Amino acid sequence: MSTSNRLTWLSMVTATTALVAVLVFLYAKTQRYEESDYFENVASLRHLKQLDAQWELDVLKSRIGINAHYDRLAGSLTDLSALLERFESETGQQRHDDSARLAVAGATLRNAIEGKAVLIERFKSNNSVLRNSLAFLPTAAEDVQQLLRRAEEAAPRAAVSRRVSTTVNDLLLACMLYSQSASDERGAEIQRALALLASDQAMLSQEVQDRLEIFRAHAGAIVREQPAVNTLLGDIAAMPTATRIDEVNGAVIAEQQRASAQNQRYREYLLAFSAVLIGLLMYAAIRVVRSHAVINRVNQELQGANENLERRVQERTRELRQAQSELVTTARQAGMAEVATNVLHNVGNVLNSVNVSAGLIASHLRASKIQGLTRAVQLMNEHADDVGTFLATDPKGKMLPGYLGQLAQVLVTEQQGVIEELLALTKSVDHIKEVIATQQAHAGASSQVEPAQVCDLMEDALRMNASALQRRGVVVQREFACVPELPLDKARLLQILLNLISNAGQATDGAPDREPRLMLRVGLVEERSLRIDVIDNGVGIAPENLTRVFAHGFTTKKDGHGFGLHSAAIAAQEMGGTLTAHSDGPGTGARFTLELPVKTTEDMP
Amino acid sequence: MTYTRIILTIAGMIGAMACARAAPLDEPIQPVPLTLKQDPARAEIGRLLFQDARLSANGRVSCASCHDARKGGSDGRARSSGFNGGLTDVNAPTVLNAALNFRQFWNGRADTLEAQIDLVVQNPVEMGSAWADVVQKVQQDAKYKSAFGAAYKDGVTKANIQNAIATFERTLITPNARFDKFLRGDVNAISAAEKIGYAKFKQYGCVACHQGVNVGGNMFQKFGVMGDYFAKRGNPTQADLGRYLVTGLDSDRHVFKVPSLRNVALTAPYFHDASAKTLEDAVAIMFKYQIGRVASQEDRDAIVSFLNTLTGEVEATP
Repeated sequence: MSTSNRLTWLSMVTATTALVAVLVFLYAKTQRYEESDYFENVASLRHLKQLDAQWELDVLKSRIGINAHYDRLAGSLTDLSALLERFESETGQQRHDDSARLAVAGATLRNAIEGKAVLIERFKSNNSVLRNSLAFLPTAAEDVQQLLRRAEEAAPRAAVSRRVSTTVNDLLLACMLYSQSASDERGAEIQRALALLASDQAMLSQEVQDRLEIFRAHAGAIVREQPAVNTLLGDIAAMPTATRIDEVNGAVIAEQQRASAQNQRYREYLLAFSAVLIGLLMYAAIRVVRSHAVINRVNQELQGANENLERRVQERTRELRQAQSELVTTARQAGMAEVATNVLHNVGNVLNSVNVSAGLIASHLRASKIQGLTRAVQLMNEHADDVGTFLATDPKGKMLPGYLGQLAQVLVTEQQGVIEELLALTKSVDHIKEVIATQQAHAGASSQVEPAQVCDLMEDALRMNASALQRRGVVVQREFACVPELPLDKARLLQILLNLISNAGQATDGAPDREPRLMLRVGLVEERSLRIDVIDNGVGIAPENLTRVFAHGFTTKKDGHGFGLHSAAIAAQEMGGTLTAHSDGPGTGARFTLELPVKTTEDMP
Repeated sequence: MTYTRIILTIAGMIGAMACARAAPLDEPIQPVPLTLKQDPARAEIGRLLFQDARLSANGRVSCASCHDARKGGSDGRARSSGFNGGLTDVNAPTVLNAALNFRQFWNGRADTLEAQIDLVVQNPVEMGSAWADVVQKVQQDAKYKSAFGAAYKDGVTKANIQNAIATFERTLITPNARFDKFLRGDVNAISAAEKIGYAKFKQYGCVACHQGVNVGGNMFQKFGVMGDYFAKRGNPTQADLGRYLVTGLDSDRHVFKVPSLRNVALTAPYFHDASAKTLEDAVAIMFKYQIGRVASQEDRDAIVSFLNTLTGEVEATP
């Protein structure tokens, strides 16, 4: 991927991330404070307020004795605390911008409720005592009065008794009134009466004293508890729980208003953002449509170009095929030419011998003594009527029998020379036949494997090259190991040997400074393969050409066509063997080695 | 004569049916609900924990050591002995109906049963444990671990242990006391003498404090409103200060939670200092120092006989 490509990707990813971030931010902002949370909070607060009012109402009911027990007061506190706790935990979980304010308002409310609870606890304690004493006071007064009356009957003119009786009555009345309206004056009055009773008490009998003590204790309790209860009631009523609830409510509402305003604002932002996004989408869509058109056009162009290209490729392919078939034809022709050349070359070599033999026979016949015989016969014909005389008397006739004897001797000699030459001629003709048969084998005729003596083949090859080698004065050395008859494709092997020997002979032309020498070696390697070396001391081969010499068309000769070694190597391969070249460099001679796998005659089918 | 009897019988039956169907009488005392509907799995864990001594530091005492349901939810001793044999400051209050109390402990220092459990487990005299150890010990018990895992989302935690025990304790209410049956309309559930006792209980003003479902347990009151109980008893102790120890307010000196009179016949000795060995003693002390009145022996006996009708049925057996 190129740098600019990567940069494009990077910027696109960045842009996408930024857009998503903005979207999430705006969405989160509109979700800050849920309406359902708000309604839940308001409902909780209303419930709180209702419970608080109920609580206060229960206090008043307990005060005037409508509530027979305090379970409801205790229960209200439990309910209030639970509700407040739930409210606090809920608001704690909700998302608030100004949660601190809400928490402070909540804590203040909790304090108020706890303060109120303390006051109510005290009220419960004081109220029970007060109610008991108020209920019992008339009975206690009556108890005292009864005892006093009995005491007066027993002992009249007891002024103390009468005064105490009056005071008890006054005190009872005062206490009853005090319970209705606890003024300080009446309180003081009660205290005075209590003090009076205390001072008079000592003058009464023990029994009366005990009863009076109880009466005084309860009156004291009333005067003690009544203001306490009143104060507590006042304090309870003054306890600003309702106000605190309203404050919390206010905080919640303010929060809700702010949140809804913010919601509105961010909703607008969201809308604007959506518009931007739609714009971007439209732009992108236009771009896509445009790109699509461009792509289509380019695609069509590409298709056209492709078709053109295909056509041209097809043309080229056709041309190439043609060229190849031409090449093949050429090669075949070249091969055939090579075959012809080879045939001609080899046949030409043998034809030399044929020529020589024919020339010799001709010269023998030209120089024949047969005319001497003709003249002798003519001489005899001149003296046909007296042959005997002529032979006996005539000087010439006397010499004739001797002459004829000599002539017969010469003619026999002549005939023998001609016969010899004719034999050589026949042999040469046989060679020509053999050469042609070899070429036929090379030309694809099926290989014919038959037992043969390698050394004989070697000698044949040498003979076939004999005239060329003699002309160059090449000294041939033989190192033939004792090799048994082996199953060989004689024709192919002979072709290879002919080629190698002919090449070796030609190679010596390039090194006229030394006596041309050819070494032929035949041997078996580990009884498994036949190895034939043809070694010359000619021009040698440059190292770079060591393998190329076998390539088709490679030649270093002026009139060469690079076919000989190539076909030799192929023939070696066809026989399952190898043909390799070795040379230490130009001018150092060369060694060609043919190795063939050995199948002994026994292996033959 | 025969007709009259039949009519009366029919009228009586109608009346009984009406009473049986009617809501509880609007009396200062209300019947204990039949159940408080608790999660049974949690309550079962709580039941096991309640008897489990591993809650204490040395494994010697469990909740049940001092709160035996067979002994009225208490231990019958004046002061209970903690995990190291140390004595508690006050008489052990009963666990029965504790769920109906508005606060826990004599001085009401715990608002909830959970808070009460928290304080007892850590109390250096009572159980002397650290919560981390308790949680670990409970967690190591595979049975608890799987039970907690099933009953609570977050498994074994301090709060869940407290909640389980409190849940169990909320099942320890004693409904169907004879008096509750009377309140629910069975006029023959208590005898005539006991009805007189109830009338005296109200008439003398005992009911001013001992009222509500729990016959007490829903308010504080000063011990000795009509006379100085502690001066008379002598040997003042720290625990005698009562709620003052919680609030530090002078007005809270000697103020205690008014104890519930439910099953009171089973929970001797009485008062925070266990100074009353019998119910009669307790009633006498109450008359002297709280009511400030003199009651006849007959009236006091009647009240005691009424108190005996407040014994309910314990369903769970810790």
